[in-house]
Amino acid sequence: MNCSCGVGKRIKDFVKSALFLDFIKGMHVTLGYLFSKSITIRYPDEEKWIPYQRFRGRHTLNMTSEGKELCVACELCSKACPTDCITVIPMEDDTGIGITDRVAKVWKVDLVRCLFCGYCEDACPTRAVRLSREYELSTTDISRTKFEKRELLLPESVPEQVHGGGIAKAKFVRSKDGIKIVANLGKMKKMRW
Amino acid sequence: MATVIINGKTSSVKDGTLILDAARDAGVEIPTFCYQADLMGVGSCRMCLVEIEGQKKLQPSCITPVMDGMSIQTETPQILKARQGVLEFFLSNHALDCPVCDKGGECELQDMVYKHGPVEGRYAESKHRFHEKDYILSPVIVKNSNRCVQCLRCVRVCDEVVGRNVLASLGRGHEQEETSFLRSRLDCDHCGNCIEVCPVGCFMRLPYRYKSRPWDLKGTDTICPYCATGCRMVVEERDGEALRARAQIGVGINSETLCARGRFGFDFINDPRRLTTPLVKKFGKLEPATWSEALDFISEKLSGIEGERIGGLASPVLTNEELYSFQKLMRSTLGSPNIDSSTRWDPVVVENYIAASAMTSGGLSVFDAAEADTLFVAGTQLSDENPIVDYIARRISAERGTRIIVASVRDMKLDSSAGLSIRHLPGGLGALMKAAALSLYESKKDKLQGFAGVERFEGLSADVLLGEAGVSSDELAAITKRFETSATVALTAGTDLLRQSCGILALGLLSDVLKALGKEVLILPILDRANQRGAWEMGVLPGLAPGYRTASKRGLGTKEMIEAAAAGGIDAMYVIGEDPVGENPSGVSAFDALSKLSFILVQDTFLTDTAAMADCVLPGAFPAEKDGTFTNQEGRVQAMRRLKAPPGDARAYLAIIASVSGVLSSTTGVCTKTNSMQVFNEIRKEAPAYAGVSLEFNNRKNKLNKLDNREALAGASEGGFTPVAMTSCAPAAEQRGEGEFYLITGNTLFHSGRLSHSSPTLTGLQKGAALELSEADASALGLSSGEEARVQGNDYEVTLPVRLRKGMRDGVVYIPEFFPGVSVERFFTTGVSLPVVKVKKS
Ligand code: SF4
Ligand code: SF4
Ligand code: SF4
Ligand code: SF4
Ligand code: SF4
Ligand code: FES
Repeated sequence: MNCSCGVGKRIKDFVKSALFLDFIKGMHVTLGYLFSKSITIRYPDEEKWIPYQRFRGRHTLNMTSEGKELCVACELCSKACPTDCITVIPMEDDTGIGITDRVAKVWKVDLVRCLFCGYCEDACPTRAVRLSREYELSTTDISRTKFEKRELLLPESVPEQVHGGGIAKAKFVRSKDGIKIVANLGKMKKMRW
Repeated sequence: MATVIINGKTSSVKDGTLILDAARDAGVEIPTFCYQADLMGVGSCRMCLVEIEGQKKLQPSCITPVMDGMSIQTETPQILKARQGVLEFFLSNHALDCPVCDKGGECELQDMVYKHGPVEGRYAESKHRFHEKDYILSPVIVKNSNRCVQCLRCVRVCDEVVGRNVLASLGRGHEQEETSFLRSRLDCDHCGNCIEVCPVGCFMRLPYRYKSRPWDLKGTDTICPYCATGCRMVVEERDGEALRARAQIGVGINSETLCARGRFGFDFINDPRRLTTPLVKKFGKLEPATWSEALDFISEKLSGIEGERIGGLASPVLTNEELYSFQKLMRSTLGSPNIDSSTRWDPVVVENYIAASAMTSGGLSVFDAAEADTLFVAGTQLSDENPIVDYIARRISAERGTRIIVASVRDMKLDSSAGLSIRHLPGGLGALMKAAALSLYESKKDKLQGFAGVERFEGLSADVLLGEAGVSSDELAAITKRFETSATVALTAGTDLLRQSCGILALGLLSDVLKALGKEVLILPILDRANQRGAWEMGVLPGLAPGYRTASKRGLGTKEMIEAAAAGGIDAMYVIGEDPVGENPSGVSAFDALSKLSFILVQDTFLTDTAAMADCVLPGAFPAEKDGTFTNQEGRVQAMRRLKAPPGDARAYLAIIASVSGVLSSTTGVCTKTNSMQVFNEIRKEAPAYAGVSLEFNNRKNKLNKLDNREALAGASEGGFTPVAMTSCAPAAEQRGEGEFYLITGNTLFHSGRLSHSSPTLTGLQKGAALELSEADASALGLSSGEEARVQGNDYEVTLPVRLRKGMRDGVVYIPEFFPGVSVERFFTTGVSLPVVKVKKS
């Protein structure tokens, strides 16, 4: 055995414990966090997380800048979906609500089955269906897990221009449906992760 | 025979075979666009190019016949490159709007580009657009020419098969567009065959527009319920709603073709007015009930009635199994011989028709009939009533030079393919056939020494007969000349023979003379109800048991049952799928007669007039909602499968018959089988003609390039039966006076029977009945097209819009059968097969 090494180590350990080096190191981390800014998001009442654009949340159906539905009810999203959770039923419409005379009579998605893979987005020839940054999907009412075209066509709560990846202050919005807490996108700060 | 080497493999094929067919036979696939089996080759798309050893340029295999010793390559780099070039060329001016196009997912261009195509196109110029929006060509066709690949299949099918010839190419070069004259609305057969053959989304179905994608559809193989041609088709549904019916190339005698009724008429199945629950009469009103309540009610009511005092009537659009079980229920369980399957035909006439058209000797393929040297089309408005037989005759006559003779009262589309078209007087077909028989006999008297039944010529004179038929002696000479120079003669026996029974005896005579002259005679029955032949073969006739055996006891036919009901001779009626009250077949008002009955049991899909007055109504199922078999007019037994469940509590008729039988019979039910295959196996035993029938369907064209599955033809019936002799045939007609017309009737191209009136698409194609008459008659009456005319019979009159018809005999008017609001049957009082009516401008 190499006894000289053993002796050296024992001396080193003694000095370390005499000077409380490990303790100081540990306390440094603890105290560092104690006095640094908190990373806990006070969700949902005070703060909300705004995901990056690449985030895949609930679907939305987009429109052109003139307000015409982009979806042509081609059913490719529904065909591409590995869990078969999108139902599209086309119809003919000459009133010009869509970009062609073929529009969706029914476009619905069952989020309980969705695995947010984004294949539907990829399949869409008109970029009508996008997975938005909407992630607040938990509910105690199972019927709220199915979304229909009417709701999906509403503007996204986080617009495309917002880059995301940060925390926004929560804002209480009172309406006749009750109080809703939305993100105040004006006051958004980057997160360090 | 020629020996060819395809991709190094040697095979031998018939001389004149196309390289493409030879390759496909050898299992080598060559992509094609413009090639369509059974259509004339045009070689326009160049998709099928192959390399032939010794020839510098690639050759189109779909129009190049093989030569002995030819060595052919189909997959060389040069060919692959050429295919890419062809496809790139197509796409350079193709709309490429697949996400919107209804063909997306089953498009030949998509498949082809996916398989053989270039990944990228190099053509950067803007594309030529024929039009911005899709345009409507007919109530069933919508067109987008921006997607066309100029294969001309639509034009060819309309010309060569359908015989309408209303499509053509407008323009040249990249402006070439296959459409109607100046893109105007089509006044055509609306058969949709142009849609079926179009490889891309140019011709599209209007009723199916933007409803679905092909991958959403669930389909099943079934049979068209509209006429006895027996076209096979696939009905497809999405979420329980039947969306379309289509034919399949190479399947069934019809292959890719259907008529308007078959292709667009299936939407009756979605009708919201269908019966969904049993109804039982309580306090004079029909109320919904459960099945067990209804069955208890039936057993309580029927068990008190003596068997012989019950009448049974079943529709000829039921399956063989249902009809067989029904007759067994009537004859064995209830002990009633009174059973019939038509409200129109007299059973005695039917028996003679069966005998004269040799149905007892088994099935006859329509292809054999069409390939005879002469095809004599008589007694039927073939082009309207059985359009697919018309297509087959047209196709084969063009290909093989069959001589077609059309003998009818009205003009028909097949005239254009016929060498000889005779317009005889209504009711004069019998006289015409007798005159032909007589003239053949007289010219060959020496050869016909000892002809059995010479006495049938007694008292016949050619002049009188020709007068009755309204045909000139030149025309007769032309007919007999054609008969004389043919080795095989095919005669059609249409439904007019059932209307005017004199023709049946004449048909027998004519075929006997032709046989005595050493000719092969083929008689092809032409019927208008999908399973009429099956109904007769299953013994749903008062005098016949299954398999054309004489019934042990002769019962009453429909007309007699109604008369008996009026006179108190029967107490109850069991009616399946028929509507004697709505159809009103006889002089006696069926409504008054049936009101006298103590119990009426109806099984139907809609609340018909008869069902509305019934004591109990049981909801049934349509084809595509049940399994079973139909026997078409040729005697071909074909199976159909169930696609979806009938709506609500409705059940297949077979199951209903089984439950009714179950509650009625004290012994364990005699016909309680609910599985159609089990019943069919029983039929095989009872009707030996069916013993050898194969229900397997061969889904490929056979070697002879015919869609003829001969194993499906029924065999000959043993024993045979002797029809009740027709003492005299129905009096030809009352004498016609000034301003009076003979009235004839039949089905139209868009409607047959009652069912078609529940189809929104068919009703859209033709809503109401019209009175057809010749131009000369119309102008004499001061009528022009679209004006209303008043038609008066003995005790019925009706006002109808007028339609002029060029090739119709003068002195005749035509009103179609079974149109709502027009009871044409009421002009036909008992015993009068050719009524005389007065027509006035109204
Ligand atoms: S994200 Fe994936 S699982 Fe969800 S709907 Fe789209 S394709 Fe289907
Ligand atoms: S969302 Fe896109 S892929 Fe889905 S049906 Fe509409 S256009 Fe087609
Ligand atoms: S529907 Fe039939 S008749 Fe009319 S254009 Fe098409 S193929 Fe011709
Ligand atoms: S319309 Fe269709 S069938 Fe007719 S030429 Fe064009 S691609 Fe061919
Ligand atoms: S109605 Fe007759 S010809 Fe037309 S598709 Fe049906 S079976 Fe065929
Ligand atoms: S398929 Fe041969 S040229 Fe079109």
